[in-house]
Amino acid sequence: MNRYEGAAAVAVALMLLAAGAIFLYAPTDALQGPVQRIFYLHVSSAVAAYGCFAVVLVGGIIYLRNESPAADRFARAGALVGVVFTSVTLVMGMLWAKPIWGVYWTWDARLTSTLVLWIIYAGYLLVRRLAEPGRQAARIAAIVGIFGFVDVPVVHFSVTWWRTQHPGPIVVNDALPAEMLATFLFTLGCTLVLAATLIAIRYRIETLIDARQAIAEPTKLVAAPQPGAAP
Amino acid sequence: MSIIVGNGLAHRFGNELALEGVDLVVDAGEHIAVLGDNGAGKTTLLRILATALRPTAGRLQIAGLDAFRERRRLRHYLGYVAHAPGLYPALSAAENLQFFCDLQDVSRSRVEQVLDEVGLTSVAYRRSDQLSRGMQQRLAIARAILHEPRLLILDEPDASLGSDAADLLMRVMKDKTVVLATHDHALANRLCQRTLVLRRGRSVGTATRLRVVR
Amino acid sequence: MNPLRVVLAVARKDLRSEWRTRELVPALAQFIILALLIGNFGFQIDSRNASTIAPGILWLALVFAGLVAFGRTFAAEREQASLEAMLMTPASPVAIFAGKALAAGALLVMCEAVLLPALSILFGTPFSGDVVAAVLLATVGMAALGVLFAAIVARVRARELLLPLLTLPLWIPFVIAGGVAVQSAMGLPGNYQQAIGLLLDFDILFIVLTSLAARFVLDE
Repeated sequence: MNRYEGAAAVAVALMLLAAGAIFLYAPTDALQGPVQRIFYLHVSSAVAAYGCFAVVLVGGIIYLRNESPAADRFARAGALVGVVFTSVTLVMGMLWAKPIWGVYWTWDARLTSTLVLWIIYAGYLLVRRLAEPGRQAARIAAIVGIFGFVDVPVVHFSVTWWRTQHPGPIVVNDALPAEMLATFLFTLGCTLVLAATLIAIRYRIETLIDARQAIAEPTKLVAAPQPGAAP
Repeated sequence: MSIIVGNGLAHRFGNELALEGVDLVVDAGEHIAVLGDNGAGKTTLLRILATALRPTAGRLQIAGLDAFRERRRLRHYLGYVAHAPGLYPALSAAENLQFFCDLQDVSRSRVEQVLDEVGLTSVAYRRSDQLSRGMQQRLAIARAILHEPRLLILDEPDASLGSDAADLLMRVMKDKTVVLATHDHALANRLCQRTLVLRRGRSVGTATRLRVVR
Repeated sequence: MNPLRVVLAVARKDLRSEWRTRELVPALAQFIILALLIGNFGFQIDSRNASTIAPGILWLALVFAGLVAFGRTFAAEREQASLEAMLMTPASPVAIFAGKALAAGALLVMCEAVLLPALSILFGTPFSGDVVAAVLLATVGMAALGVLFAAIVARVRARELLLPLLTLPLWIPFVIAGGVAVQSAMGLPGNYQQAIGLLLDFDILFIVLTSLAARFVLDE
């Protein structure tokens, strides 16, 4: 078992533990019922996703400064894993919303900005696929990643502000009891470990992809006369 | 001193290798012709020399400076005629040149001088999409010399020019260092002292004009 | 090297080319009128709901017109290989970018000169300086972003698909703030001053960011 398989096994084991904590340790919510348990994974996925996109941001900035291929690979890995976690967040959010609010979707700040997040980074992946692989794709993607990362809080803020312009129901968030908080933090930790493991594995894959595309050592030309040498 | 020193220049487009391991040294005042069939890598090499394209491998020095890092400084120094003319169709010949004067902080009086040099004074105010292909080519050449560069990189400048191509080019190339890509061996022999032959992205060798036999 | 000279030269060149060919502005103006017509039938607009729905139609029309207008700024350059010729000069890529954004923004403003009166005439909504100010402020930021991303996708496959995908998420804040501004200018609830303030903030933020990004996007 190589170290990637080992790390994966640990990550999966941790997630199973987290599942145990979610279903066996955490108390049932008085108001929302068992459906509330989605919250632990839903919010953890969201945090993990933002973490992944921070990796994309940092990787992009480093790449623009010194063209380090490793930075670009981290960015690629982060984007892919981040989109996966964002998708999980969105789906869980919708599954949670339906029993609680009766609708799959509401245009509140969090859901909207998560959707925008997904669109931005799906766009990032598409740009990478469509641009000429190598320097051009990496530079363009770095710019997209930077703008995307800035845009999400701006959108979140805008939607929150927009809500204040329209009278509407206010969702009250009660403080979390201790066991719930503990469960959440534990799940969050396990999810972050999972995210980091996935990024590391994906980074390795990207390294192999790059190696396959890399320029082979140019073979020395046989007897190429040097310019200016005697004819 | 050597104006151009290129070592191991290579360029890869995606998975395709367009240029591999090309070495090139050009001294001040030399005129070098780059010959080769279509697809041999002439345009790629010239774009690299003009600092329009960054090679995926290899080193390039122009006028003693690292060509890529100092490319903004080198732009004053070199003039490039690309494969495609790259003109603005709705603008007249003079307006095209005036625009490039503004971009390069060159006095607009150069427009008249340069039009005269390439023989386009009579059509200065005609829209460039109404110029013949040969005139468009002359206009592209005119644009390349607006800022009086010391080094000229010309990609098939003779392509649409008529029988007086050699005269025009000789005038333009006088007292400058030039790298010229062409299909026309006779023209290459007439204008240049040395040739570099490319085949499938690799240099097959350089020779003085006496040794190019086709 | 005077960057302002470059900015104005590039803007003048783009606007002059558009004036000589007269392709974009008439087409966009027609598109805008059609959008208004479709909006009318799609939303069943009458005198009671006009003020509520009209701002939405305004922004929809503007966004799509913007995508077309900005998409074209680099399409022509690409066709003529002239972008490379511009970049081969010592002119700073930021100045070139600013010139193109200025020209593209001006073209969109010309379309707005059609859109806003038409909206007012067709839907009976008030046409005030407040509405114009909001739309103009939003146009500035949208132009900077639109032109930057048009430059990004210019050398990529499937650019017609990618441009909206990349640009629209960045335009959302402008549409949100602009929507509230226009609505409140038309008499509906909403804080106009705050909305304008936000538009200004977004403009500043994205003008700074796009200027920093321009040299990475335009230069090889």
